[in-house]
Amino acid sequence: MVTKDLLSAQDLSLEDLQRYLALAERVEATPAAERLRLLPGRILATLFYEPSTRTRLSFDSAMHRLGGSVLGFSGPEATSVSKGETVRDTVRTVENYADIIVIRHPREGSARIAAEAARVPVINAGDGANQHPTQTLLDLYTIRKFLGRLSDLRIALVGDLKYSRTVHSLFRALNLFGGVEFVLVSPPTLTLPGHLKTPGHAFTETTQLEGALSTCDIVYMTRIQRERFPDPVDYEKVKDAYRLEAWMLEGARPHCRVLHPLPRVNEIAPDVDSTPFSGYFEQVAHGVTVRQAILLLHLGVWS
Amino acid sequence: MSTATDEKVLVIPKIENGIVIDHIPAGLGVRVLDVLRTWPGLDQEIVTLACNLQSTRMGRKDMIKLWVPDLPNRLVEHICLVSPGATVKRIEGYRVAHRWVAVSPAEIRDLARCRNPACVTNHERDAHTRFEAIDDAHRRFRCAFCERVFALEELELVLT
Repeated sequence: MVTKDLLSAQDLSLEDLQRYLALAERVEATPAAERLRLLPGRILATLFYEPSTRTRLSFDSAMHRLGGSVLGFSGPEATSVSKGETVRDTVRTVENYADIIVIRHPREGSARIAAEAARVPVINAGDGANQHPTQTLLDLYTIRKFLGRLSDLRIALVGDLKYSRTVHSLFRALNLFGGVEFVLVSPPTLTLPGHLKTPGHAFTETTQLEGALSTCDIVYMTRIQRERFPDPVDYEKVKDAYRLEAWMLEGARPHCRVLHPLPRVNEIAPDVDSTPFSGYFEQVAHGVTVRQAILLLHLGVWS
Repeated sequence: MSTATDEKVLVIPKIENGIVIDHIPAGLGVRVLDVLRTWPGLDQEIVTLACNLQSTRMGRKDMIKLWVPDLPNRLVEHICLVSPGATVKRIEGYRVAHRWVAVSPAEIRDLARCRNPACVTNHERDAHTRFEAIDDAHRRFRCAFCERVFALEELELVLT
């Protein structure tokens, strides 16, 4: 059951996921001019307590494409946050200016504390290392666009599998569709946490990227995030563990696609961009589609 | 010089009216006492703690007796967290007037602090906390906010 807010991929059942994906298809099938008439007069507030260019711009773009408007802030410096206002008070104020709130905040659980204080829907656009559910939905949508299905597939998850919330959510969500085989590629220090590997997950673990490339339908690369490492020395040891270059994809399946939540640093060489395997910029485009579906659903315009 | 019988009386004298917390797993009595100490109602009252008593059911157990007519609910809830399985008895006129077993709850509200330093509840002023049991035995709990999972004994109780 889809609730007022979208806070955690953990809250979403298979049925919920399918609902979002179906609405995203409907967005895509709706002519642009018609879409502009879906949310006229509606206002989205984007509260970004930490910088994020693409997630914020993606939501802005989604709202504008639906004919709505956007207000908000990015970075806490210029706001009442720097005066010590609580998230709950900020939200209770902002809900008088807007019909729906998108929030990103470095503290884990901020979106839920905001949602419990707010009357209007709250969408979590990332709460520290915890959740980023709109990323999960756009990842699923992208995979389905490329392969035509979300079950019976083989996907390599590559890089920081320990700290990457994107990977954690995708690992759980994809498994709900059934018949998904995971190849977990990471340095030994960054393997997927044990509590995520529930019975029913089919996976193999390896430190070698090369071997995985020829057998997978999707190669999901991640950035190794400096900010998640308590010890900078540990980060230096693994930061360039995996770098995908065009020649490495020579034996890949023809329909194989490389995805990445972006921004990339060194994980994907620029020469991959011009191969038929690159899927990460289309992934960005799908992000705007999926976020339109999310806005329409949570504003109660579509169901 | 005291006899064995005298000792028995000295260690755990019967109480006429009060509260007995029995069947505390051996070693946890001190933790239960830590919880009780936060209650100002106990300042002037007699409290006894007996450790490592023999128990047919448990081998060894701890037991606490309080010369008070009743316990505030919040304390009872805390005892459930510190020592699930303990028996709490209200004694009136040397008889057990009421008896219940401390059960670990399905949800813990505002009784504990999240151990995750990055959790919003440790930064937002006056934030409520909430932990939800993720297993049938109610021994593992997920913070409703940061979603981290903790064993019951890992939770840091908020005693006041």
